[in-house]
Amino acid sequence: MTWISNTITVFGGLLLAHACYSAQEHAALQSFRAAATSTLTSSTPVASSLPVDIAIETIVATLVIVLGLVLGTRPLRPIQWRVWAGKIEREGEEGFLGNNGEVEKDYMGNPFTYLESRPSFVDIRRQRKEFAEWIKNGGGDAGKK
Amino acid sequence: MAPSLLFNPAKLPPSEALQLAQQAPVVLQGSSSPSETVDQWATFENLLLACLRTGDDEAAAKCMDQLEARFGPDNERVMALRGLLSEAQAENNGELEAVLKQYDAILEGNSTNLVGHDRLRQLFPDRRFANPPCLRLQPITKRRIALLRSMGRVSDAATALVQLLDFSPTDAEAWSELSDLYFTQGLYSQAIYALEEVLLLSPNAWNIHARLGEVQYMAATTSGSGGGSQQKYLAEALKRFARSIELCDDYLRGYYGLKLVTTRLLKEQAKQAKQTDDGEFTLPDPKTIERLDELATAKLSEIVRHSTLKDRGWRGYDEREVAAARELLSQNGIER
Repeated sequence: MTWISNTITVFGGLLLAHACYSAQEHAALQSFRAAATSTLTSSTPVASSLPVDIAIETIVATLVIVLGLVLGTRPLRPIQWRVWAGKIEREGEEGFLGNNGEVEKDYMGNPFTYLESRPSFVDIRRQRKEFAEWIKNGGGDAGKK
Repeated sequence: MAPSLLFNPAKLPPSEALQLAQQAPVVLQGSSSPSETVDQWATFENLLLACLRTGDDEAAAKCMDQLEARFGPDNERVMALRGLLSEAQAENNGELEAVLKQYDAILEGNSTNLVGHDRLRQLFPDRRFANPPCLRLQPITKRRIALLRSMGRVSDAATALVQLLDFSPTDAEAWSELSDLYFTQGLYSQAIYALEEVLLLSPNAWNIHARLGEVQYMAATTSGSGGGSQQKYLAEALKRFARSIELCDDYLRGYYGLKLVTTRLLKEQAKQAKQTDDGEFTLPDPKTIERLDELATAKLSEIVRHSTLKDRGWRGYDEREVAAARELLSQNGIER
């Protein structure tokens, strides 16, 4: 999907650039003509309006760019608590990948796990013992694979 | 996927803790750059914890030095970590006692003696009023409690914890620890009370709702105090699990508990005629329970099916939890 949105955005950008260029050319031509025709009279700038097609092109270009950008956004985050929580439980980190394929920075899983792991009260000696036993039981080999 | 160093490693399985600790040389090397980043110190703290757990004391000491150099040895969090380091390295009970004395010394020297307390002591000379633990020193107070518990002095730990909660009753983590402490002692009603306090402080914590349901279910299965309180616990547990599911779609733990409770309730109803006496609690009527049971079965088998097939979007569950759910389903004679 990203290539579609990117193509649309680039296309819109090209249109916009073309419209700008046209407008600039038009203005240059107008001022040149004005200078050529009215050298004697006091130069009142001709209130020249842009041709309709340039205006339309600009508007269309903007809309196309907006369309491309909207198509390219990530899926929106859930705003309902239970949906969001369910997503954390069901998909884990995979549900919160950014555009670059890495887990988003502000992803922290279930924010309430600390109430069960209780880091301030950690029993480090038991953890060490458990870890040593895990190594002894060959857990280390499984971890290295 | 390697776990992130930005989060506390206490809950990780050993293999992932090992992965974290193996990052130590890289992280310690990279730390020499003068610019500080936001996550740098959280990384160091968690690395220290992971290294301590895996027994890599050398790297842990290096992390500790960095933290101390940055925040100074007087910082209470650094002091708590320093204590943790010496706890981990203590080899016998004597050394642990020494660490405990150290904590006591820090707490004694800094305890805030409130003016109101002096007044209280004057008014009630026969009662003892402990010095309130200084709120700033909470990390150390907590370490002291954890050490007491680790040394097996559970009642001392409980007393200290209750004292801490007297002065900061909004500390959900401490309430949760108190609940766990009572729970390991088999004091279910106290454990339930403490968990309810946790829920008052963080009412949206779906895992705590499930935890409370679990404790109530265990209280119901072990309590010898007759059918009445047993049914009451079961009814409460049913509500808790239902709430945890309400807060979190597809919550495996919640559905697992719901299934357990409904199975038990249905079995008991078959065994004994309905016991509708005291108005303290009301069991939902059997039809509702049956429907809840069906829902839990359907959801559990859906979760088990999807996560066994490793479907996209269903890979967040813990494998052991899924295995337990599969076992529960097969016990009830429901094949996937």
